[in-house]
This record gives sequence, C-alpha cells and structure tokens, in this order.
Amino acid sequence: MREQIRRVAGTIVRVPFTRRTVRELLYCFFGGLAGVIGFEVTVVLFAFGLTITASILGTVIGLLLLTLALLISRRLGALHRRLARWLLRSQVEAPARFQPGKGILARLDRRLRDRVAWRAVSYSLIKLPVAFVQLYALTLAGFGVADVTYPSVWLLFHHNSAGAPLVAVTPLPFGGNIDITSWPGTLLAALAGVALVIAGAWLARGINAADRALARGLLGPSRLSELERTRTFAVEDSAAALRRVERDLHDGAQMRLAALAMNLGMARDKLSDDDETPQVATVRELLDAAQRNAVDALADLRDLARGIHPPALDNGLAGALTTLAASSAIPASVTAVIGPRPAPAIETITYFCAAELIANATKHSYANEIKVNIHTERGGVLRLEVCDDGIGGADAAHGSGLAGLAQRVSTVDGRIDVSSPPGGPTVVTVTLPLKA
Amino acid sequence: MRVVIAEDAALLREGLIRLLEDRGHTICAAVPDGEGLLAAVAEHRPDVAVVDIRMPPTHTDEGLKAALALRQEFPGTGVLMFSQYIETSYTAQLLEGGAAGVGYLLKDRVANVAEFASALERVAAGGTALDPEVVSQLFRASRQRGGLASLTPRERQVLALMAEGRSNSGIAAGLVVSGGAVEKHVASIFSKLGLPPDDTDNRRVLAVLHYLRSPA
Repeated sequence: MREQIRRVAGTIVRVPFTRRTVRELLYCFFGGLAGVIGFEVTVVLFAFGLTITASILGTVIGLLLLTLALLISRRLGALHRRLARWLLRSQVEAPARFQPGKGILARLDRRLRDRVAWRAVSYSLIKLPVAFVQLYALTLAGFGVADVTYPSVWLLFHHNSAGAPLVAVTPLPFGGNIDITSWPGTLLAALAGVALVIAGAWLARGINAADRALARGLLGPSRLSELERTRTFAVEDSAAALRRVERDLHDGAQMRLAALAMNLGMARDKLSDDDETPQVATVRELLDAAQRNAVDALADLRDLARGIHPPALDNGLAGALTTLAASSAIPASVTAVIGPRPAPAIETITYFCAAELIANATKHSYANEIKVNIHTERGGVLRLEVCDDGIGGADAAHGSGLAGLAQRVSTVDGRIDVSSPPGGPTVVTVTLPLKA
Repeated sequence: MRVVIAEDAALLREGLIRLLEDRGHTICAAVPDGEGLLAAVAEHRPDVAVVDIRMPPTHTDEGLKAALALRQEFPGTGVLMFSQYIETSYTAQLLEGGAAGVGYLLKDRVANVAEFASALERVAAGGTALDPEVVSQLFRASRQRGGLASLTPRERQVLALMAEGRSNSGIAAGLVVSGGAVEKHVASIFSKLGLPPDDTDNRRVLAVLHYLRSPA
C-alpha cells in the first residue's frame, strides 16, 4: 500500500518534468492561441455574414462571407490537426477532401453544405473555453517557474534594493501578490512554485486530452461519412471484382474450350464419314461426343459469365438491356434515355434488377408484353421502370424476389416502388443514384 | 479465298490459321487487335476478315468498331464477327448498312469445321451468315410487331434458316424435306409478309432482315 502511494506520488511529481510536458505546454500556448483567434475569426465572419445576409441587398455578399468563413474553418481545422499531431503526437486523420461542383452556384452550394467545414466551425466555437483553460495551465506553469527562481534572484539582486520586499506572483483565483521580506521566505515561494508547475503540467495534460478527443470527434472524418465512403468502396469493389472474374473466364476457360472445340472439329474433319472400319467408327463417335460436350460446356459457361457480368454492360446499359429484352420469353421492348453514364456498380445493379423484374413478370404475370423504360433525371437520378400488362397482384412483402431486389438496391440508397393492383397492370419503379 | 484474321488469343488465332490453311485458303495476315486489322486489310485487300469482338486495348467492342470501319472503307471485303457472345445491339449495328458480306457467329460454331468454313465462304462471296442465336434473338425482338405470328411453325423454321443465310437446298437438307416443299414454304412466307418473291439468296436474306429490323 505504502509502496503504491509512493509510486503514485513519484509519478505526480516526476511527470511534469518530462519532455512530453514541455510539448503539452507548448501545445497549450499555440493551440490555445489558435483556439482564441479561430473563435474570434469564426464568430466575426459568421456574425457579419448572417447579418448582411438578412438584408436583401447583402445576401450575395453575406453568402460569400459565409462561404469564406466555412473555407477558413476548414483551414483552421487543418491547422488544429497539424498542431495536435506535432505537439501532442495525436494522429487525427484528415476528413474527405472538398469536392467542388461544376459552376459557381454548385460550388457555392457545396461549400455551404460542406459537413466537414461545419464540424470545424463547431470545433472552433467549443474550443474557446478549452483554449482559456489551456492558456491558464500555461500561466500556472509559467508563474511556478518564476517563483522557483526567487531564491537565486534574492541572492543575486536583492542587495541592490535593500529593504524593499520581493513580490511573488500568484495566479488567479488565489489572487493578490505576496511580499517576501526574507531569504527563507523565497524558499517558501520556490516550493509554491514547484507546486504550481506540477499543477500546471497536470492541468495541461488533462485539458489537452479533452482537446484531443474533441479534435478527433470534430476535425477527423465523421463516422457517417466514413461509413458512406467505405460502403461506396465495397459496392464498387465487388462490381469490379465480378467484372474481373468475367474477363478471366472469357480470356481463360472460354477461350481454351473454344480452341478445344476447334481442335476436336479439325480432328473429326480428318476422319472421312465413309470409312466403316470399326475402330475409325468408334473414334468418330467419341470425337462427336467430345465435341458436343465442349460446345455444351461453352454454352453453360456463357450463361454463367452472363450471370456474373454481362459483357454488353461495358458499352452501357442501353445495349445490355436490349440484349436482355431480346432473350425474354414474353416480348419485351426497351426505351432508354441515358444522359451522363452512371457508375459501373450502378449499371450492374440496374441490369440485374431489370433481369429479375423481367423474369418475375414472365413467371407470374401472364402478360403479353413487357415494357422496360430507363432514363436519367435531373439531380443525378436513374429511373428504371418495368411494366407489364399482366394480372397484377405483385406484392413486395410476399414476393421474396422483390424483397431481395429492394435490399440490393438499398445498398446504394436506391428505392423500389411497386404498383400492382389486382387485374394489373404492374409497374415496378427502381430509383437509383448515378453514383454508388 | 484470301483471309485476314483478327483475334487476340494466340491459341485461337493459330487454330484458325491452321483450320483455314488446311482447307486450302490463304491467310494474308493474323493480327491481335483492331488497328492491326485495318492496316492488314488496307494492305492485302482480302476476300474476308474474321474478327474477334473483344480485343485490346479495352477488351470490350474493339472488333465491332473495326468491323464497322472496314464495312465503310472496304465494302468489297466480307466481315465475319466471331465472338463468345451474341449481343442484339451489336447485331443491329452490324446490319445497319445491309446484310451483304456480313457474318456474326459464336465461337462455338468453329467446332463444326465444314459449316464454319462454308459460312466464311458465303460471307466472302457477299452473302450472310448469322448464328442461329442471332436469328432467334431477332425473332424474339420482332415478335411483338405481329406479322410473324401468322407463320406456321414450319415456316418459322424455314425463315430462321433463310436468315442464317442458307439456300433453298441447304434448308431442304437441314429440315430433311424436299426442295419443292421448301420452295412452297418460302413463297408462302413471302406472301404472308408481303414481300415480292425473288430468286437470289442474298436479296432474300436482305428482305428477311429488313423485315426483322423494321420498326413497329
């Protein structure tokens, strides 16, 4: 027990005199200063921006000021992160870079809705009290150091102003100064100084730990945007992986099988059909069988590859959907108006949605005709409609196919709406973003 | 017959060369990409080019693009597309300028050497060779427009074989019926589709394809 107390006490006393403490105190100085200045800049710009925006004439200038404030907040955030990394050795990862839109208005809009910047603003605002405590911790330690020097100051300089007391400073909230009139008194002041340094160092550590957490929470990548980013990556990565698998199949197994079929054909060609020797006839039969198997295997592989990634998708959705419709058992027509090309992952999801919906209609609707309509809309939306003139009554809740589609589509924030009154017609609308 | 081959897989390229040389044809050049194809055709002016669709650099539809360019620049050279897939949109693009001297076959078809060679010869002579898969896709695509609905199943079979580019005797052999029966079917098809009968194979195919591709 005693051993423990001694150890803890030792730590309390020793820790302030380490390199790290020097860094922490330096951070209190720079970080605190940056905090105070950042707060002022932010508040002033926002106050100006908002007041000016309130008057009609100033709206434009006000918005520009707000944009400027957000831009500066982002920069301030970067500064705070750098300080924390340099002095606190605390790695706060940089958030996503700003994605400017096309055109001035889009750019302005993105700036005003820049989540990273707004979080940096909130950091700047919360940082003010933190900065005060940091600066206070620095003051404690500074005064402490000053007090510690008193015995030597007394010895070196006091004879010059004999009789006048030395004034020991005490930091707020202790208030007031203490006059020291004798050398032993300075020893007492030095002791108090040591206590102040220890207190300052620990206060700095404490408040810096809080600041670190704050910076990590508000200046790093947010959980939400991090999740969005990784989800996009996962969706795109799996689409790319499927594409790779299909390509490998095409360049590997499919190509070799085609070559095999060709060689078998050439071998078969060398055997004349008229040669009735039993051995030749047997070889001919075997070759024929081998050839049929090779061709069947090619057909199987083709279906498999198409299920993994339809090759026509490489040239865009319109062509791929046309081929898809052409293989439908119920006559299907496609109308496609696609503006900017969607991301590959979105194209893949759209294609398989269309395939599933056409298959559903074929199985359950007793329709005479299927219409597939795909178009891009303003605001980066891709809309796929699959309509049939069948008996209706499709239910998203009961059809496991539709539920599965809804799940698949929701991985990219898409939506499925089903309108299928009894007696038809059935219209299934799939809405997807252009980017995963 | 003088042939240029464009195929990026060396195994298939060598196989094709051997197959065609075996049957007495001359291979002027065998290249692995679309650019090489255009250069080789410009240099050798072959009767026909066998073109793989997926070739470097993008491995998507280089072959199709090169084939379309060939059709523009060297109308005298037949083009046989040779692919692992039949894509309806590719067929449509390929047939846009007419069906003369055009072929589109699955790579599987090379298993039957004699049929493959005769398809190639047909294309070289300005005829047509479409994969049964292409034909069935075109059929399905055109079904909703009616007209074909009035055909009997047998007439559909005959029309499909016609669309593949076969002659009456070829159809007769394929269906194991007499030549006269085929002629009767063909005449009936033309009258049902409202097309004037014609003797030459090529105009027949053109007419059929024209009908298949015509808008609703």
